[in-house]
Amino acid sequence: MKTAWVGLGLGLALAVQTTLVPMVAGVDPPVDLVLVVVVAVAVGSGPIAGLWVGTVGGLLQDALSGGLIGVGGLAKTLVGYLVGQLGARFMVVRPWHQLLVFFLASLVHAGCFIGVSSLLSDGGRMTSYGAVLTEAMANAAIGVAVVGGLQIGPGWLGRRRLRRRSMSSRFSR
Amino acid sequence: MWLLAVVIGHVVLISLQVSAPSGTGLFEGVTVGLFSEVQRGVARGVAGVSGFWHGYVELRSVQAENDALRDNVAALRFEVQREHALAQRVRGLEALLDLREEVSYTNVIARVIAGDPTIYFRTLMIDRGTVDGVLRDSAVVSPDGGVVGRVVGDPGPRAAKVQLLIDRNAAAGALIERTRAAGVVMGDVDQGVLRMEYVSNLLEVEVGDTVVTSGMDGVYPYGFVIGEVEAVHQGPGSSLYKTIQVRPSVTFSDLENVLVIVRGPASSMTAASGR
Repeated sequence: MKTAWVGLGLGLALAVQTTLVPMVAGVDPPVDLVLVVVVAVAVGSGPIAGLWVGTVGGLLQDALSGGLIGVGGLAKTLVGYLVGQLGARFMVVRPWHQLLVFFLASLVHAGCFIGVSSLLSDGGRMTSYGAVLTEAMANAAIGVAVVGGLQIGPGWLGRRRLRRRSMSSRFSR
Repeated sequence: MWLLAVVIGHVVLISLQVSAPSGTGLFEGVTVGLFSEVQRGVARGVAGVSGFWHGYVELRSVQAENDALRDNVAALRFEVQREHALAQRVRGLEALLDLREEVSYTNVIARVIAGDPTIYFRTLMIDRGTVDGVLRDSAVVSPDGGVVGRVVGDPGPRAAKVQLLIDRNAAAGALIERTRAAGVVMGDVDQGVLRMEYVSNLLEVEVGDTVVTSGMDGVYPYGFVIGEVEAVHQGPGSSLYKTIQVRPSVTFSDLENVLVIVRGPASSMTAASGR
């Protein structure tokens, strides 16, 4: 069940990333929603889940992008595993802890991606430092909102269900 | 253990592509084929909402726009008439010189359904594929004739990936229209700017010159507008070449429809080199 939700989350992130984000932001998307899902899953479910979600999300993203398939997959696999290890050792509960984790994970991802790509081609600069920092900040902000929503959402839905049940039982008497 | 296995898997996957570019054709084809259907659906939904907005809510400005367009049409009719006369004259001269090779292009109109999911590459997805005759390296231009890019990878039956000319890995053979100075236009990381390289320091290039495709790369047909020269610098030190910045004629972030040239570049190249 959880795997299905994660798969749905990844699919949704990819769909929004490739369709709605370019419509709003143009050719340089300022956010990586797939990375947000990878980090969110890794923080909540540990290194192995982070590793697999990173692998699948990264490879799918690579296939839809213009680069070599596997570079983004490798970067997201490493980030998913590292963040999972971090989440297993420390309590990443407070919003500013999460903000820091998403921000640093985005920087590590950019470092891995650019590092591996630079080894494979001599095409010069891949992107600007400003773009990497903007993406890291946007990922952090959206990541905290997503994790907050995931923490509050199920409880809110449960309370709403209980309230409905109690209302219907009151009217049936 | 898992980490090591997955990392090795990725390294093998990357190595396969470095040694043979078609190493992951199947995976890429299946992913693009399947996901393009999702993208097509989302794009259609958004286009529906946006169409409603433009159709009903912005109806107020239509009258003024209509008047302006009427004036434009009148001016353009005059231009067309003038160009028609000029074309007739050129055709007559060609007949006189026995230049009979005619280059015709077949194109299909495609809708942009998705953009690149990363900040590192500049590609977009279109809703036309092999069923419509789109092939790898088919040139893609905007409806007003500006160069957009070329199809990369193996296109799916109903979708294809287009590498924009502003991608850092993109390039096109180019000419300065006024002086015929030839060079290569390449994408750059800096926002929306192209650079033209291999133009000799001895050739004359000025700010404002129009840059067009040369047709010599075998991808882009001759004569499509790439952009306008924005800055020209003499090459550093003893460099033989100028450093030229080109402002693209296409606004890449606003692309909704494009034309894919499905036949023509090879014949244009033959014609160009044959002349």
